[in-house]
Amino acid sequence: MHELSIAIEILDIVEREAAKHGAAVVRRVNLRVGDLSGVETESLAFSFDAVKGEKDLTRDTILSILRLPVKIHCIPCDGEFKGAGHMVVCPQCEGLDTQLLQGEELEIEDIEID
Amino acid sequence: MSEKITLEQKVLSRNDLLAADLRRLFASEKVAIMNMVSSPGSGKTSLLEKTLGSLSQNLSIGVIEGDIQTDNDAVRIAKTGVPVHQIQTGGACHLEAEMVRKALSHFRLEELDLLIIENVGNLVCPSAFDLGEGLRVVVISTTEGDDKPLKYPAMFRSAHVMVINKIDLLPYTDFDVQKVVRNAMSLNPEIHILKTSCRTGEGLDEWSGFVMEFVQSNNE
Repeated sequence: MHELSIAIEILDIVEREAAKHGAAVVRRVNLRVGDLSGVETESLAFSFDAVKGEKDLTRDTILSILRLPVKIHCIPCDGEFKGAGHMVVCPQCEGLDTQLLQGEELEIEDIEID
Repeated sequence: MSEKITLEQKVLSRNDLLAADLRRLFASEKVAIMNMVSSPGSGKTSLLEKTLGSLSQNLSIGVIEGDIQTDNDAVRIAKTGVPVHQIQTGGACHLEAEMVRKALSHFRLEELDLLIIENVGNLVCPSAFDLGEGLRVVVISTTEGDDKPLKYPAMFRSAHVMVINKIDLLPYTDFDVQKVVRNAMSLNPEIHILKTSCRTGEGLDEWSGFVMEFVQSNNE
């Protein structure tokens, strides 16, 4: 359940940014979560709802989560591929000489405030 | 009218920043840091006892034990004569850089060559929390499934070394060593692989040698 720690951290960041911009209400938080990040989306959404509390600032904040599939670059094939599930094996040559382009993200892209 | 504020900020950046601070501190004190992770019952503490037995004559070692409850592991480690501090997370399923920072007051860093952190037994959450370590070791035992790397990819991707422990039990299990190696390599082609048995001693010299090399390369 490290999703709870992550939810608390998200809320901290959001509150800090909201204060910086003098926001009365945070409408939405747009989060990007890669398939390799080890984050359980449902558990994170549940935790976020549990910690956002009754403050006017965040009571109705929606946590919007965009899942990002694994994307790799195969060096010998010189091509970009979608990883099969969690794998970083090239689906074309089945080799391991690949670089991860996408999949480990856990970041707040933006927040929408009033 | 809503306003959009672009952040593009990593969620765990506070932990990452703190871990970076710790890493700088460890570098200036010339302490090598090893973070051991695994599922519960893989034999991390037994492996640690064996490691301390063979390395503590030549190295000054400290141990941080992470558990949700009890100081059982710290009591075991204390018997080896090595300074140990127990962190009880009180429910949290992983250690964070802040917990390690606080635990450092129990050690004389300037006197240590190696600080070993035994993380909470859990293959999911500890993977996301950098503790400032130079070496992350994931221990898997032959009584677990050989598909563990595929089930917990974040952990096996972030580890530098995979130790396959309880190798003496292979004849009694369906664990396929080649398969687990293939699975781990498919996620993390760079991962170094070692096999050990704390019961028979198989592979322990190689493992201790590997840790010794890590400490020496850290001091260069």
